[in-house]
Amino acid sequence: MIDISAKRVSAMCGLAACLMLVVLALSSCSRRNGSQREVVKGGRAMDSTLVIAMLGDADYLNPLLGSTVTSANIIGLIYPSLLQSEFDTTTGLMNYMALEKKLREVTPQGQGKKDPKGALAKSWQMSKDQRTITYILRNDVFWNDGKRVVSGDFKFSYQLYGSPVIASTRQQYLAELLGADKGKVDFDRAILTPDDTTLVFRFYKPVPEHLALFHTSLTPLPAHQWKDVKLDEFRHSPLNLQPLGAGPYRLKSWQQQQEIVLASSRSSNLPKPGTIPQITFRVVPDYTVRLGQLQTGAVDVVEGIKPEDFTSLLKANRQIEIKTVGLRVYDYVGWSNIDQNEYHKSGKVRPHPLFGSARVRLALTEAIDREAIIDGYLKEYGVICNTDISPSLKWACNERLVPHPFDPARATALLRAEGWLPGPDGILQKQGRKFSFVLYTNAGNARRNYASIIIQQNLRSIGIDCKLEVQESNVFFESLQQRKLDAWMAGWSIGLEIDPLDVWGSDLNKSRFNFIGYQNPRIDALCELAKQKMEPTGARAYWLEYQEILHRDQPITFLYWIKETQGFSRRIEGEELNISGTFYNIDDWRLRPSANVAL
Amino acid sequence: MLIYILKRLLIAVPLIFGVLTLTFFITRLAPGDPAAFFIQPGISPNVAEQIRAQYGLNDPVPVQYVKWLANVLQGDFGRSFSRAQQPVFDVIAQALPITVTIAGLTLIANFTLGIFVGIVSAVRQNSFLDRFLTVTALFFYSMPEFWFALMMIIFFALKFPLFPASGLNEIGAEGFGSVGFLLDRLWHLVLPVTVLSINGAAGIARYVRGSMLEVIRQDYIRTARAKGLPENVVIFKHALRNALLPVITLMGSSLPFIFSGALFIEVIFAFPGMGRVTVEAIFARDYPLIIANTFVSGSLIVLGNLFADVFYAVADPRIKL
Repeated sequence: MIDISAKRVSAMCGLAACLMLVVLALSSCSRRNGSQREVVKGGRAMDSTLVIAMLGDADYLNPLLGSTVTSANIIGLIYPSLLQSEFDTTTGLMNYMALEKKLREVTPQGQGKKDPKGALAKSWQMSKDQRTITYILRNDVFWNDGKRVVSGDFKFSYQLYGSPVIASTRQQYLAELLGADKGKVDFDRAILTPDDTTLVFRFYKPVPEHLALFHTSLTPLPAHQWKDVKLDEFRHSPLNLQPLGAGPYRLKSWQQQQEIVLASSRSSNLPKPGTIPQITFRVVPDYTVRLGQLQTGAVDVVEGIKPEDFTSLLKANRQIEIKTVGLRVYDYVGWSNIDQNEYHKSGKVRPHPLFGSARVRLALTEAIDREAIIDGYLKEYGVICNTDISPSLKWACNERLVPHPFDPARATALLRAEGWLPGPDGILQKQGRKFSFVLYTNAGNARRNYASIIIQQNLRSIGIDCKLEVQESNVFFESLQQRKLDAWMAGWSIGLEIDPLDVWGSDLNKSRFNFIGYQNPRIDALCELAKQKMEPTGARAYWLEYQEILHRDQPITFLYWIKETQGFSRRIEGEELNISGTFYNIDDWRLRPSANVAL
Repeated sequence: MLIYILKRLLIAVPLIFGVLTLTFFITRLAPGDPAAFFIQPGISPNVAEQIRAQYGLNDPVPVQYVKWLANVLQGDFGRSFSRAQQPVFDVIAQALPITVTIAGLTLIANFTLGIFVGIVSAVRQNSFLDRFLTVTALFFYSMPEFWFALMMIIFFALKFPLFPASGLNEIGAEGFGSVGFLLDRLWHLVLPVTVLSINGAAGIARYVRGSMLEVIRQDYIRTARAKGLPENVVIFKHALRNALLPVITLMGSSLPFIFSGALFIEVIFAFPGMGRVTVEAIFARDYPLIIANTFVSGSLIVLGNLFADVFYAVADPRIKL
């Protein structure tokens, strides 16, 4: 009996092991067949491949739908763009370039490395009434399948961008086109294509030229490829997996959630085939592993390296360097300006019992040692933040503002003047109410965790009881949206065009991101006045006043601007990081060992 | 036995269905919004509404449930919210072979290592080696796997770069040929499978030790020794084979642990398997994908348990099903 059962066990184990080998073989075969890749000629694959570690995969490689950072980076390399844009570091203004025209002349110091030959438009003409912009397109640009890129591709794509069925995240770009003021863009009148190389956009109101250029340079899709796809099938069309572009790279393979491989497109003249033969975007979700891969040379670029890891990383591998881009991200402590309970119950706006007074909020700012947070965590990669206009936007930034100092004595005096006096337990009290609240933040952000602990200690030292609570990101964001929180720590990444009404607008129903409930009619007026200026620099005076008001009112405590830090392998040459993106001129990058690899 | 298997499968249907219904309501009622990603400055407020309408999230939850039920009964689990609206089973079809590979290799490593350590401990009961193995097994058994994974990466991928820290294959592995590609894949699986299996192996080792000690004291073992059989034959042919029978039941019950372990192993080692799909689906509030994952994992676990029971009966004719 024992022998029989033992044989059965052995047979079963053998069968299981065989099955396992078959599964392993199948799993590797399916991957290989799916990718249909060929090894780049000449040398080791890594010698001609740039490897970039990404936190997450692209959602779509379709410019209408792609909404992740990875998508945007890859779409920019695959598809043609009407204009080339670059950030002028001397002024902080965006510049737009066609093949034969620039929006503004830039000093050599502010000049980027973007080649105007990367633009599909030859030139443009803005009408005198600022209601029409006419582009003349090049006639020598072709999609990867050999069909010419024509103005009709743009009209077709804009109609898709505006479709509520497709729900493109870039619908907002169509907000000035004819008909948009009545709720529906009239595409027949708003976008005209008299011939294949002429593209006309018409607006219902005068639009500043820079904004018109920004909003009319959305990436097109090839109309001939997509014209038969039904709108309700657009989001799951198989064509989304085979992007047809005209840019310096084309998609070679996409193993979802694993890697995206781009190969230099030899036929591209926008402006030329990518210099590096192959770029691989590898999805590595775990930060420690991304860091380790950079250290061992398995990847060449990792974004978002934490300052605390610089020393060990550079010590472990001298072939790594840390690069930074401009100041575009800031952290803040949000104080609810209004009593949310009352607002939710009756719709009435009343000051928050703790944070309703500007003087209290100023005291809170002065009680927080922002320099200590910067010195302790960000070091030279942090700058004290006064308002939400970045010092990188030099044309608009108010440099006369003096940061509120760390001054606990003055903070105590301000609170005393507001009636907040120490109670028997040392915690401030006013009319029987203790100055005690919960400061929320989202999970998984080491920088904010560090800052929140310092904030808690700082506030405790002046008699404020601040409890810390971490929420899962999705839950945290929902609480913010519903204006459920009294105090929280979060951050914003700003756009390069200043448009802050969504964050500070007094109409709390319209201003979706005014989580604190701040209301100041002068801020509303200044934002509107600035929008009406046809040249951005003409609005400088408005933005200076805007910053003075925010600095005075302290609707939130602006903490610090963060210089985002990226880890680069030294084998990369020619890279130029810019506030508009780490991969801003990636098609011009070179790999040292690959210099001899023929394209 | 066939009737027994059929009965078990029939019982599994309402069980899995109940799990899915619970999952449906828990995910819908938990805070968070699948369209939250589209609520950003610079994105029209209409977009989130349009997305919600497309996903059918504007209906009351009971209505959503009835619609979902009608679709599921027709075998349609829907399309993923977060992965380019792919049918959820397409997403799973891409991920499942990877997880099954990891789970299978882990299972083999678990039992091989666990049985080996268990035998040594039992045969050398109360020796220094036994105590050493017991302490080591308890050490690994109580160690958090995610921490252990990071330590293994730091040690074997950074300090002594013997194994890769992430991914399924090397860049350019396509050029290695079929055997080279397979070996490259196995090389990438060494660290994760080790991490996943060491913890389980420690548990199995304790179990085998106990089982072996019980068997060794049986009369027929004494008889075997009395016959003058060599100790190797006594241990491996007579004692081990009988001691292993109860271990078979562990196979089925190991599956849920291996699957749940794969959740973070896949995140840490960047494998696009079921674990990562599940974790990302939860963070993105991708309801259809969460439910489909629950369905697949639940079914595999039920089938795993059934397989273990049947295997046990096949292996030991004393058991009648």
